[in-house]
Amino acid sequence: MIKIQSEDIDISRYLDMVRTPDSGGIVTFLGTVRDNAKGRKVAKMSIEVYEAMALTQLEAIRSEAIEKFGVNEVVVVHRYGDLDVMDNIVFISVGSGHRREAFNACMYVIDELKQRVPIWKKEITPEGDFWVEGEKHE
Amino acid sequence: MKVNIRYFGQFRDFTGKREEVLEVKKGITVEEIREHVRGIYPKIAAKSEVLVAVNGNFGALDEVILETDEVAFFPPVSGG
Repeated sequence: MIKIQSEDIDISRYLDMVRTPDSGGIVTFLGTVRDNAKGRKVAKMSIEVYEAMALTQLEAIRSEAIEKFGVNEVVVVHRYGDLDVMDNIVFISVGSGHRREAFNACMYVIDELKQRVPIWKKEITPEGDFWVEGEKHE
Repeated sequence: MKVNIRYFGQFRDFTGKREEVLEVKKGITVEEIREHVRGIYPKIAAKSEVLVAVNGNFGALDEVILETDEVAFFPPVSGG
């Protein structure tokens, strides 16, 4: 399950989606808004998304994670819009027969997301607004 | 031919636009249209990395763009 939404993430609902009879563990990554970046105080965050492409890319990453690590289920929910400090940004949850595959698949999904899913963060700070520079492509 | 271009992230600030229609030569490639847009917007030209997606996919530099394609320009992504 892949979702892009402005509203907050209903964590228990999405966690239940990765709960399957053949899973012995669920690994979840929850990205949240930090109150500082590069020595600056961050008051808010604004997130922009190219939704159609982001959904396609996330579906591809989800399939790759299932294929590569043999996990049972992967759910990714990413928010857009204006967020406050401590708000949820992204939820990634992986259900798997065993923990190691689940940890590896979860790490794979967040790493790939940061490389190829068209989403951009802008930090709203007392010194002004700053677009977050994405990691360079290899 | 006319091609619909969309801008995202910081490139919206650089261009002052969310999208526009550009007149380009028929058979233009991803690499050529990137140079074309760099030529129009110096702030995009100044970026070391300019990503181009065609119909929601990262295209090869020699991919030929069709009039019906949606071409998107944006800086390296920073979600998560």
